[in-house]
Amino acid sequence: MSPVRVTFRRTIGQARSLYTAALACAGFLAAAAVLFAFNLDAAEGCRVRLVPLWTVSVAPALPILAALLGMDVWSDERKTGRIDLLLAAPVRERDFVIGKFLGVWAMTLVDIAIALATSIGFIEYFAPALMENVSFASFLPGVFALAMQSALWSAVAVAMSALFRNPAASAVATAALLSAIPRGLWYALMAWAPEGRPRFGEMPLDAQAYDIASGLVSTGTVVAYAVLAVSALFLASKTVASLRCPGRGGRGLLASTRTTVALGIVSAVLAVALAYRLDVVLDLPIGGREARFSPRTRSILAESRGTVEITAFLERGDGRFRPLSHFLRALVAEADAMCGVRIEVRYVDPTLDLGAASRLVREGVERDSLVFEQDGRIVGRLRLADGYGERACVSLIERVTLPFQRSCVYWTTGHGEASTTDYGPDGLSDIARDLALDGYGNKTIDLAGGAAIADDCALVVVAGARNDFSVVELNRLRSYLEGRGGKNEGGRLLVLLDTAHLGGIHTLLTEWGIRPVPAALSGTRTLSGTDVVVSDFAADHVVSAPFAGQRVVLDSPVAFVPSAAADESGTGADRKRYSPLLKAGGATLAAAVERGEERSDLAIRPTRIVAIGDVGFSLNAHLAAFANANRDFILNSVKYLSGRDALTQAGTEPDLLVSGMDRTARARLVVASGLAFPALVFLLMAAGVARRRNR
Amino acid sequence: MYEVRNIAFSYSDRSVLKDVSFVVSPGETVSLVGDNGAGKTTLIKILATLMTPESGTIRVDGQDALAHPIRYRSQLGYMQENPALYEDMTVKGYLRYRAQLKGEPDKRIRRRVGEAIEICKLADTRDRPIRHLSFGQKKRVALADAMLLRPRVVLLDDVLAGLDCGMREAAAEIISNVAAFSSVIVTGHEITDLVKWSTRILVLRGGVISASIPSAGLQHGEFVAKVSAALRGGAK
Repeated sequence: MSPVRVTFRRTIGQARSLYTAALACAGFLAAAAVLFAFNLDAAEGCRVRLVPLWTVSVAPALPILAALLGMDVWSDERKTGRIDLLLAAPVRERDFVIGKFLGVWAMTLVDIAIALATSIGFIEYFAPALMENVSFASFLPGVFALAMQSALWSAVAVAMSALFRNPAASAVATAALLSAIPRGLWYALMAWAPEGRPRFGEMPLDAQAYDIASGLVSTGTVVAYAVLAVSALFLASKTVASLRCPGRGGRGLLASTRTTVALGIVSAVLAVALAYRLDVVLDLPIGGREARFSPRTRSILAESRGTVEITAFLERGDGRFRPLSHFLRALVAEADAMCGVRIEVRYVDPTLDLGAASRLVREGVERDSLVFEQDGRIVGRLRLADGYGERACVSLIERVTLPFQRSCVYWTTGHGEASTTDYGPDGLSDIARDLALDGYGNKTIDLAGGAAIADDCALVVVAGARNDFSVVELNRLRSYLEGRGGKNEGGRLLVLLDTAHLGGIHTLLTEWGIRPVPAALSGTRTLSGTDVVVSDFAADHVVSAPFAGQRVVLDSPVAFVPSAAADESGTGADRKRYSPLLKAGGATLAAAVERGEERSDLAIRPTRIVAIGDVGFSLNAHLAAFANANRDFILNSVKYLSGRDALTQAGTEPDLLVSGMDRTARARLVVASGLAFPALVFLLMAAGVARRRNR
Repeated sequence: MYEVRNIAFSYSDRSVLKDVSFVVSPGETVSLVGDNGAGKTTLIKILATLMTPESGTIRVDGQDALAHPIRYRSQLGYMQENPALYEDMTVKGYLRYRAQLKGEPDKRIRRRVGEAIEICKLADTRDRPIRHLSFGQKKRVALADAMLLRPRVVLLDDVLAGLDCGMREAAAEIISNVAAFSSVIVTGHEITDLVKWSTRILVLRGGVISASIPSAGLQHGEFVAKVSAALRGGAK
């Protein structure tokens, strides 16, 4: 049996008889589980993937684990004097060092495996929705990232243990070197110069783990970890060898050892610098690229034609560059796989690509943005600060590549409605501009004037009518909703009710299954006392589903209940299906009704109505004043009503992390995974230690 | 033949060994005696390659030991003054581990361990954890480790220290058995015990071997008297 293997087995066996090792393992599991639960909570509703999130939750606890598991391996040998027996054995120092390193590393790997298994198990139990698109294999990149980091941490722990005679000093030195100093420096730097965060991204150790876990493998990083781990082992080996050098006779050997170590450190630094200089970032197709995009996005990419050039206009050193390039490459690969639109991606660094950058600047493009071009003409742009996710990009691609369809939003007038040309706080100019950006025309219609609703009408909006609609006007709307001229094309209506004046439109809504009632809200959150903060979105409707984790604000809203017409009237396609969209304090503050089914092949389209209990919801003042999702909710409602369901469907942002856990479930997850299970592990391991000691 | 020639060693401000030379033949048991601080443990550590001498050579059958330390250590058995063992292991497990570490093939380990246990009279304690053993039993385990693979040279540092009378006699018997296949070098202060089974006594004094006193032809009392006189700086 090789000395490396013998030493490896002894290191494991020795750790199994130590209470500190049991405590370290249990503490690691507890820390990783609590961090994971905390990060899961913080990332709820954000564009974060589960595997990288788990990886960066486990990574910060690894240095402490390695420090505790590795602190004894040499320090204890030196303290007890066993070092003499080891050094008198016919074994090279490096074999001892490698054996001990492998023992410590193996124990950290086992802990990582246990943490992974328990995390998956607890997620499956408490938040099964999170695991729907994630397989066990998806975690392998994350495990690789952690294994790579733990190799370096274990090597450093072994080196520190060789340097210090006292195990506690060794553990403190390791933890300081691996965790406290780099993280402390980083956070101090970011506190001193917060503007550096967008440039440098996240804490490098976390960012590296995150990148690899998401399939973005930097060869420079991998080589750097390997070189540094080997260097740490080399240092440990030379430190042990130098124990033979007390006295004058060892001076020469000691000097040559120190020279060798210094040369080794210089070589390691040069190797790491070279590795990063020749860095190649591999975008590995791991983690299931198919699951990255929703079926509807793939459908849009397949249906779209032509070529779209996407230019990423930001510095390559920017912390957002790598995740952005990862996303864009995935989008290009997806488009290629769908054989539809061809996407070409260019990267323009404003500090390096001066010619291309000056062209973009002349075109009025801001730095840190994505530019969509077709035939050399800029057709859209997205500021990275506003988000560049799948939905936004695909929406732009759809707009510039699909055949042009005239699509207008008709705003009713003559009843005291808010106006799209009013730029004041009570106007609708803000939302009208957003609709125009999304490709809609904004028109007004006076139903009393006898004007027919034109064929290009995507939907009719009644925005806060204060005066009653006449019977003729209501009949015209009824006729529009029932279907134009026998074409079986149901109308679309968005109603924003004024709290004080229902404008007679409520009778029409009641006929279609939505009955406005005074809102009796209890236990709702409020900002000013009269408004209502709503974060309870119906998860089963395309309008509201994407808003999980976000909030909208309504001011003194009207509530809705299903009327007798809803659900009961009619059968099959004639059935009016009532769906609540927003709920607060037991009341529904926005609702939708749909009748009929989408049959694109037969030119049949269903009737759709969305009612929102507050016209202020969409006014300029409210959109400007509140950091809320009101704007997106209106836009989603318009897209749903105009038939662009694709852009509102839940799941068009698969990276949104929605656990579906309530506060109780979160607390249970923390207690079970961060307290009960680690305690059980500690008891089992401690029982094993006690049994070995008492046999 | 185990030859030590002109070994010198000094700490930064103090010379411990100036010129130590001696030869030990196979089957010989040599005891190294001297006052406290004379350099006995230092010399043993140098012989065990735990310290680097300023000058001098160590040869085993003519081969330079310091030039080929791994090969030399595979022919070496070493025992510290205070046995430092893995307390969580059983006696058998520990000896097995040490045999594996010394590179013994797996198929021969069982026999080697059994032999060491038998020679060192550890049969009753073979399956007990080391932490439950007495000091004397631990010394015997350390002794078993030192002679585990029948090494060419066995270095025993202060082997009798801390042992009671019965234990000393047992240790003497074990060392006599070990000497059947090894050159044994023992350090210690217990002259009356050492002279019973040593074939030669080396007196370390002033950084040199001041006297080499063979036991052949000497009565026990005479041998003790000669060694004591050498320690005081008398007879050569």
